[in-house]
Amino acid sequence: MTIGLAHLLTLAAMLFGIGMYGALSRKNAVHVMMSLELMANAVNINLVALSRFLTPDALTGQFFSVFSMVVSAAEIGLGLALVLAIYRRRRTVELDAIDELRG
Amino acid sequence: MGYVALIPLLPALAFAILTPMSRKARTRAVPLALCAALGSLALSVAAFVSVWPGGHAEEPVWQAGVTLAHVGERAVSLGFQLEPVNALMLLVVTVVGTAVQVYSLGYMHREDRIGWYYAVLSLFTAAMLALVLSDNFLGLFMAWEVMGLCSYLLIGFWHEQEGPRLASIKAFLTTKVGDLGFMLALAVIYAEVGSFDFAAVLHAHTWAPAAATAVALLLLFGAMGKSAQVPLHVWLPDAMAGPTPASALIHAATMVAAGVFLVVRAYPIFEASDTALMWTLGVGLVTALAAGLLACVQHDIKKVLAYSTISQLGFMFIALGAGGATAGLYHLVTHAFFKSLLFLGAGVIIHSAHTQDMREMGGLAKHLPVTTAVFGAGALALAGIVPFSGFWSKDEILTVLLHEGHYVGFALALAAAFVTAFYVSRLWFRVFTGPTQQAELHEAHRSMLAPMVVLAAITAGVGFFGPRLGAFLGHDIPWPELSTAAISTGVAGAGIALGWFVYGRSTAVVNTRALKQRYANLYGVLANKYYFDLTYGYFVIGGYSALSRASAAFDSRVVDGVVNGAAAAWRRTAERGWAFDSTIIDGVVNGTAAIVKEAGASLRKIQSGRVRNYQLLVSGAVVLLVVWILVKGA
Amino acid sequence: MDFPLLTVIVFLPLAGAALVALPGNGRPGAARVIAATVAAVDLVLVGWLTLRFDTGAGMQFAEKAAWVPQVGITYHLAVDGMSLAMVALSALLTLLAIVASWKTEKKPAMWFSMLLLLEVGMNGVFVAMDFVLFYVFWELVLVPMYFLIATWGGPRREYAAIKFFLYTLFGSVFMLVGIIALYLQTGTFDILAMAEAGGLAPSFQWWVFAAFFLGFAVKVPVFPLHTWLPDAHVEAPTAASVLLAGILLKMGSYGFLRISLPILPDAARQWSGFLAALAAISIVYGAAVAFAQTDMKKLVAYSSVSHMGFVMLGIASLTPEGLNGAVAVMFSHGVVTGMLFFLVGMVYERTHTRTIAEVSGLSSRVPVAGGLLAFASFASLGLPGLSGFVGEFLSLVGVWSSQIWAGWVVVAAVGVLLAAAYMLWLVQRVVLGGSSPAVETIGDLTKAEIWVLAPLVVLTITVGVYWDSLLRFTDPAVNAVLTLMGGA
Repeated sequence: MTIGLAHLLTLAAMLFGIGMYGALSRKNAVHVMMSLELMANAVNINLVALSRFLTPDALTGQFFSVFSMVVSAAEIGLGLALVLAIYRRRRTVELDAIDELRG
Repeated sequence: MGYVALIPLLPALAFAILTPMSRKARTRAVPLALCAALGSLALSVAAFVSVWPGGHAEEPVWQAGVTLAHVGERAVSLGFQLEPVNALMLLVVTVVGTAVQVYSLGYMHREDRIGWYYAVLSLFTAAMLALVLSDNFLGLFMAWEVMGLCSYLLIGFWHEQEGPRLASIKAFLTTKVGDLGFMLALAVIYAEVGSFDFAAVLHAHTWAPAAATAVALLLLFGAMGKSAQVPLHVWLPDAMAGPTPASALIHAATMVAAGVFLVVRAYPIFEASDTALMWTLGVGLVTALAAGLLACVQHDIKKVLAYSTISQLGFMFIALGAGGATAGLYHLVTHAFFKSLLFLGAGVIIHSAHTQDMREMGGLAKHLPVTTAVFGAGALALAGIVPFSGFWSKDEILTVLLHEGHYVGFALALAAAFVTAFYVSRLWFRVFTGPTQQAELHEAHRSMLAPMVVLAAITAGVGFFGPRLGAFLGHDIPWPELSTAAISTGVAGAGIALGWFVYGRSTAVVNTRALKQRYANLYGVLANKYYFDLTYGYFVIGGYSALSRASAAFDSRVVDGVVNGAAAAWRRTAERGWAFDSTIIDGVVNGTAAIVKEAGASLRKIQSGRVRNYQLLVSGAVVLLVVWILVKGA
Repeated sequence: MDFPLLTVIVFLPLAGAALVALPGNGRPGAARVIAATVAAVDLVLVGWLTLRFDTGAGMQFAEKAAWVPQVGITYHLAVDGMSLAMVALSALLTLLAIVASWKTEKKPAMWFSMLLLLEVGMNGVFVAMDFVLFYVFWELVLVPMYFLIATWGGPRREYAAIKFFLYTLFGSVFMLVGIIALYLQTGTFDILAMAEAGGLAPSFQWWVFAAFFLGFAVKVPVFPLHTWLPDAHVEAPTAASVLLAGILLKMGSYGFLRISLPILPDAARQWSGFLAALAAISIVYGAAVAFAQTDMKKLVAYSSVSHMGFVMLGIASLTPEGLNGAVAVMFSHGVVTGMLFFLVGMVYERTHTRTIAEVSGLSSRVPVAGGLLAFASFASLGLPGLSGFVGEFLSLVGVWSSQIWAGWVVVAAVGVLLAAAYMLWLVQRVVLGGSSPAVETIGDLTKAEIWVLAPLVVLTITVGVYWDSLLRFTDPAVNAVLTLMGGA
């Protein structure tokens, strides 16, 4: 059995679903961020897979996913810094406890 | 000949130097004014000699001027000229002026504002001389007005008292009424000729009868104001509130004669209009007789002389109106000397008797011999008794009337002459004869008597030079015809006799109560001065005051009321607008805001502030979108 | 390029106004010295301008630069004899006003600053030859005058200041409409160019003249648009009164001479009868109301209405005599009424009353003040030999030579008599007689006060005795106006 586009897309969809579940169900901010990372990487798999199977000559998807991973890394850095800052101030990283923007 | 310009400039200079000084310095500088007057006198004599023997009426022997202003294409100039008429006038003004200034040294020496008195007297002399010398109507008018100012200042010299203060304003305004005529005449002359110069206006221009009548009547009106002719005569008797020497100079000899001089100057225009001449004659006749009658009932010695002046000026107007300009001028000259003499004499009498009321005087002849003698000369001249100057000139006027066929005028003039003689003798007998009523009567100082003696000498002698003077002026002044002279002397004698009959016979104090009662109506009219003052006071002054108060009320209530009303109306409109604005227009705005606020209040409930809620919303929305795309795409 | 003399003359006081404000109200000494210096320098510059002025050359010292070229607005300054006379008067009176108000205690820096700012507007109006510039200066004058009255005025100062401001603004709005109408018709804002070009339709001229008439007549002021004047004068401080009567009123009549007549000649001829009638009524009416006044300042204020009537009468005549007379009255009224207001102010400072009934016998107690007040009164009533006579006489002569109905001339002539009546009546009550309690203890004028009045006395006599000292400047300007009108 060769692994085709469908397998890869399915993998990515599963990964995205897991990530999404984690992002919605977890209360800990760090967990939510990890879940977000899963979702982002699901997108990356999609990009590489689609690029490989649809336009094999061009490496557009691969380049884009590398670019996306760099941005994700930066984003995680920033997110963790924010979480740390919040923790210092409120001694918790529970997202439900942070509702300052409530109208 | 340039020195002629100095004649008015010297006194003007004296005025300019004296005025800015302090009161003390001015008092010390009085001799300066006197020197200026003497200088003018000397130069005037020189000017007169240079014109002698005269005979050329129209051609000036000297003329000089400056351009006062350039207006459009025309140039308005001021200048002086010298010819026989004004050479003679120069002499009259400077002689009387100097006499008065010398006399005033004694008369005014106790006044602490004597310096100011001399300053104004100098300004007056300068203005009068400038008027006489002027070669155009504008310059004449300007000098004329300045004289009016001096007259105002001198009448009101003792302005701390109510009387002089009111008299001064009355004099200024009454003459100013006449000046309006003069000013309008100038406007007409300018519109007609485009120049004010005598040469252009009088000789180069041919006057159409209508224009000539207009100008002449307007000028006559101006002259009537200055020369106190009925009905503008009311100011002159009141003007006697001023110092007596000033009255002698201004209100007897010179300024009041300026009106006559003006008519003499403008005579070619008058000659072009029979109407104007007739009016001049009429005004003169009415004034001569009416003022003479008033002089008969006055008790104030100065007022008698004032009415006499008005009456004599009336004689001059008679002459002018009858066509005898030279006769009028002749009478002007003789009158200037004898009337100033009479005023100066009255000054001595007032100083000595400490009253101006003739009823409180009497028997002064014994105590004031010199004054009596010179006053007598003046009085005889005024009454018209040969050989004193008034006789000659009055006869000249009567002759002109006869020659020109004005028989009614002749009769009225004779009547006026009779009245004149009567009031002169009344004055004489009341003041100089009869019992003495005061103690300590004493003769004046020599410095006051000397000028009077000089004037008396002129009064006694000038008549003999009549024909020579006529030749000098370029006209005929013949010796009086025997018939006219006889009639006029007879009339004058009758007047004097009547005066003696009423006032001179008894040696006791004269009581005329019985006479007054018998002619109560006539006396009432005369004592009230024909009701002129009352009428003017009630209608003109009262009317104008009421009008002015009404205007002021109109201004603040109506004119300003409209403005304030408009402002108030606008404010009310604005208030209404504000109401509309705040309820309706602003209501819409505020209403919109309220709706938005309400909406926001309900929408805020969605805003939980929890990240996961938002995430759920976003995810749900994405899912919905995807579903929608799938469905739609299918 | 030549030295921009006019610009400096106009804007030097602006710099001065800023400079005066710098030291602040706390240091009045610095403020008044700076103000006086600036005003004096300005006067010297005007004197220099007068010396270099060529009476035969018409408009001169022109400065022209593009300002808003898109719509043809230029920065255009120039002077002719009329302008020069007014600018000279403005510079002189400003300096005298500053010296006379030397001891102002309330907000001195702002006071002097406002006076200088006022001078900017006054000088500017008389030399601006572009409509927009003219309008800017015209309105600029209102602001400092408003503050002068509203801040340093009498008890009803706010009412008076607002009335003054709104009334004149009301007029100038119509003027603005006129300016815009002219611009739309001719495509230029240049006053001189517009006058040169001419050729406007008579019916159009009539309406524009009406608009300008409202603007100028309020300022003059002409009966019945005059009631802001007495209120403003009574409430205004002395220096402001002097400048208001001396210069601001002349802006209106200057407007007629500079704008209405040359640009709208046909309308001017149509309107002249109406103008003469209003002028004659103003003369007699102002005199009659003045006669009834009990407040010295109000009397002088109403006398201004009467005198400005002679200006309007002269203008209505459209003859060289009348126009020269109008400018002469403008000048003389500035000098003489300035003197009167100064004197009334000086008397008020000492007696603390302006009620005529409470002040009498000045001449016996304070001879210098009394004498000068009498002098100014005689100048005001038009005594020959003093400046007042020149203009009144020329106006009357001019209007008689013109097409105007002679009846108005007679009415105006009666005004001369009535002027004598109210002025002498004032002298009678205030100067003459025994001194009243209010006068009993006061002192005579100080040296400084005499120096304030001395230049005005000298001018009054100079112009009155030698008319050409003024008329040689105004006559060419006036003739130029008449030439532009196509010969009246």
